[in-house]
Amino acid sequence: MNGEILLQTLLSGILIGLVYALVAVGLSVIYGVMEIVNFAHGEFLMLGMYSSFWLFALFALDPLATLPLTLLLLFGLGALVYRFTIKRIVNAPMLSQIFVTFGLMILFRGGAQFFWKPDFRTVENSLVSGNVVINGLYFGIPHIVAALGAVVATGAVWWFINRTRLGAALEATAQDKEAAQLMGIPSHWIFALAWGLGAACAGVAGVLLSTFFPIFPEVGANFCLIAFVVVALGGFGNVTGALWAGIIVGVVEVLGGFWIGPEYKLAIVLTLFLAVILVRPQGLMGRAE
Amino acid sequence: MMCMRKLRSAFAAALLLGPCFFGSAQAQQEIKIGAIYPLTGAAASTGLEMRNALELAADMINNGAKGIDMPLAAGGGLPNLGNAKIRLIFADHQGNPQVGATEAERLIMQEKVVALLGCYFSNVTSTASQMAERYGVPFLNPESSSAKLTQRRFKWFFRTTPHDDLFVHNFYEFLKDIGAKKNLKPKRIALLNENTEWGVETTKIEEKLAGELGYNIVEKIIYPAKSTQLTSEVQRLKASKADLLMQSSYLGDAILSMKTYKEQGFAPSAILANDAGFSDTEFRRTLGKDANYVLSREVWAKDLTTQNPLIKQVNDLYAQKYKTDFNGNSARSFTGLFVLADAINRAGSTAPEAIRKALSETNIPGKHLIMPWEGVKFDATGQNTLGRGIIVQIQNGEFATVWPFDIATKDIIWPMPAWDKR
Amino acid sequence: MMTKKRNSLIVVGAALALVLPFIVSNPAHQNYLILVLMFAQIGVAWNILGGYVGQVSLGHVAFFGIGAYTSTALLISVGLSPWIGMLIGGIVAAVFGVMIGWICFRFKGHYFTMATIAVAEIIQVLFTNWEGVGGAVGLYVPMDRQGWGVMVFNSKLPYYYIALGLLCVTLLGNWAIEKSFLGYYFRAIKDEPEAARSLGVSLTAYKLVAIAISSFFTAMGGSFYAQKELFIDPGSVLVTSLSVKMSLVTILGGVGSLFGPLVGSTLLTGIEEATRQFFGGSGMGIDLIIYASIIIIVAIYYPAGVLGWIKHLLRRDAKTEGGA
Repeated sequence: MNGEILLQTLLSGILIGLVYALVAVGLSVIYGVMEIVNFAHGEFLMLGMYSSFWLFALFALDPLATLPLTLLLLFGLGALVYRFTIKRIVNAPMLSQIFVTFGLMILFRGGAQFFWKPDFRTVENSLVSGNVVINGLYFGIPHIVAALGAVVATGAVWWFINRTRLGAALEATAQDKEAAQLMGIPSHWIFALAWGLGAACAGVAGVLLSTFFPIFPEVGANFCLIAFVVVALGGFGNVTGALWAGIIVGVVEVLGGFWIGPEYKLAIVLTLFLAVILVRPQGLMGRAE
Repeated sequence: MMCMRKLRSAFAAALLLGPCFFGSAQAQQEIKIGAIYPLTGAAASTGLEMRNALELAADMINNGAKGIDMPLAAGGGLPNLGNAKIRLIFADHQGNPQVGATEAERLIMQEKVVALLGCYFSNVTSTASQMAERYGVPFLNPESSSAKLTQRRFKWFFRTTPHDDLFVHNFYEFLKDIGAKKNLKPKRIALLNENTEWGVETTKIEEKLAGELGYNIVEKIIYPAKSTQLTSEVQRLKASKADLLMQSSYLGDAILSMKTYKEQGFAPSAILANDAGFSDTEFRRTLGKDANYVLSREVWAKDLTTQNPLIKQVNDLYAQKYKTDFNGNSARSFTGLFVLADAINRAGSTAPEAIRKALSETNIPGKHLIMPWEGVKFDATGQNTLGRGIIVQIQNGEFATVWPFDIATKDIIWPMPAWDKR
Repeated sequence: MMTKKRNSLIVVGAALALVLPFIVSNPAHQNYLILVLMFAQIGVAWNILGGYVGQVSLGHVAFFGIGAYTSTALLISVGLSPWIGMLIGGIVAAVFGVMIGWICFRFKGHYFTMATIAVAEIIQVLFTNWEGVGGAVGLYVPMDRQGWGVMVFNSKLPYYYIALGLLCVTLLGNWAIEKSFLGYYFRAIKDEPEAARSLGVSLTAYKLVAIAISSFFTAMGGSFYAQKELFIDPGSVLVTSLSVKMSLVTILGGVGSLFGPLVGSTLLTGIEEATRQFFGGSGMGIDLIIYASIIIIVAIYYPAGVLGWIKHLLRRDAKTEGGA
């Protein structure tokens, strides 16, 4: 294996890893605030992709231009999902919560098939297409844009949580719900905010992916497991951790697939995940309990 | 509050009783045929195309299609059974072999279908046809290609499509032909097949034949289906410096892999695909001109109309109804129902043994089919011996038959141009 | 009083279960009954670890798959009867379960759940690439020989009674655990881990016992599945959705209760089959929408499962009667 291929696989891994990170950040925000693992997270991603696709197909609007709209749509959807389902199971056992989000996952998939048919769709000839070749290294422009977008979005989430009053309220609720409530922070609004934010992250990731990934009702399944691994690896509820973990997972997946064999790439990622949490049970950057 | 409580009790009662409302009205002069296909899940889009094709076939038999010279297409159902109409009962197997078997059993025992069609996925076809074998009900499989299915020597299993063994032989016959006639000989072959029964079996036959025929396989990748990225695979392909890629993928992976080839600048002389995702209408629709020059083994192509006017007539009808052309999958499903209906009609009865006997005596000439086959005739294992594959190439967004040379409509373009020179 | 009522209910239920296949004579409907019993059995097995000890595993399909693969591979390669293969599969799975538990019990809560998913997914990848057990192609149970020795039948009846027997054995196992010191410790680990620890209960040791028993019974369910469907591949016996289903039947019925999974399996199988039968053929995804809506509604409004809800109703009725 020569240096060029090593560099190529490494950089490709980082690019896709950043997208994984963005999907995972959404999951992580929800978990961090209310300790619920959202099995329907991949479906938020899928809906983001469809939103991007339909705005493109019906109104010829480029995915990049419609990104803010999709973000708002998914934010609203996330908040609504919270309001009508999750709100009622906030204090239920973990199993019931898994049950509800699992139901949501199937509901969204069925809904997507019902309304939009199970066909595979793609956004053709978006503004972001083609590739660049630098010193014999190939990069897809959609991948570069997606990775940049993911960095910006992740940064924005980090800024929101750490530098704004609302973010501080979010963080306070995550730390101690009762104490935050006593200080006058309405936890239900904060939870809704977390769900909106989480769904919006997945939605933005969906838009960014829609420029190079085929869109179909089941597409979320491809990304959901990876996102779970990234979140747990980075530390549940930790935005910076998810970013690093995403990059690591992307690089290990691509490099491991190249070296050891593509048929084992998922197993390689999962083994790494188990090995890491064995050494650091709270994840790479999680708070020790 | 009281109301809510009542509602909840009613809801719970509905849950408990729901499954009890089985059974259905028996209508006379109807021939029920069960069709088990993937109607939800990742393959649902292909499943729906095949469902459409079957409905068109049933509609042609029941209500007729003007000007189409095909046996049974005059309308009015099956003449030998008092003009009985065909009624299709669809079931969804969700890509799950256990569900496929459950649905097969339900269709046989509860809906009392006289025969079964399906199931596209080889592994589901295998469990569903086991069920048919148990109950002694004819099972006609129009589109699963695993060679193993007919090696089981089932009594009640019939398959109209050629299987993987023949398809892979086609690949190499094709390579031999273009080597002899056009002096094109690939020196380094890479295999990229998905990690399912179909991909694995194909890989084995490809490797075996390459060894026997003196072709050089330089890379063999069995990749996991439904990946989030195919970069590692493509890097391996690039590193192998292959000039011919043989690939087996379903639709999602086929699209993603093509996009990754373009992006990573992987351009072998030819991509020879194993049908499936590459022959799907949406493959061309979504990739547009990037789909050009891909070669695929096929069982059907629109340009075969020049060989047989029937193909154009039927395709026009289908396109008018569903706004898309036939493809290899839907054309095979369509043909499957006609073969089955022909047998039931000749049997003159819906007794399973009579239908089975009629199926085994099937002899339909190629001119009555919309397939480029010499006909339909089953051997002792239930395999159609007159089927054959073709090789098509996407040229200007349409499939053109390029092999066998005697029915080719276009000349093959080889090597395919590099991505930046298109 | 309460136990008497319960015991008589069990006797009536058992009697009904024995004669049920003679009332329901259509093999397709008998097949539904078998599915109900089969998923109830693996739900009961899952419940030992997930319900009693409170360790939510979503990787149990690995044990199910190991059971299915062990008995089938032994049957094909050396012609070993699946009855023995089933036991061997159970033991292999139990050993494997202890190994997995030894690693995964270090993790708490969601980390444990994630780790079990990861282990099961790794197993799926390994089996998919393991040519010795058929790889992606899977394994076929030969149909040519039939009868009790090879556990292959044309009729549904034997399968029904085997499934019923398996369920009874698993239920008995659970009942014995509930009544013994194990049940006491398991509940202590779930509800008061700190108190249990301070009393000198070795949490990990008892969790390992739980996972061993749980995986043993789950693997037996896997062997039965292989004999019933006569075909296994990684896509059907090693998929995470099956792990989810094991937990779903338990939650639906009532977590940590003996008969919860049976009730849950009856409902879930009923809903699944009914929605697919009525709407699946349309190809519109309506079956999924209805199925999902029911799951969500049940989880939200009946978090204690259907059994919990029925108990609640009974108690309320008892109260009103007492008041009047």
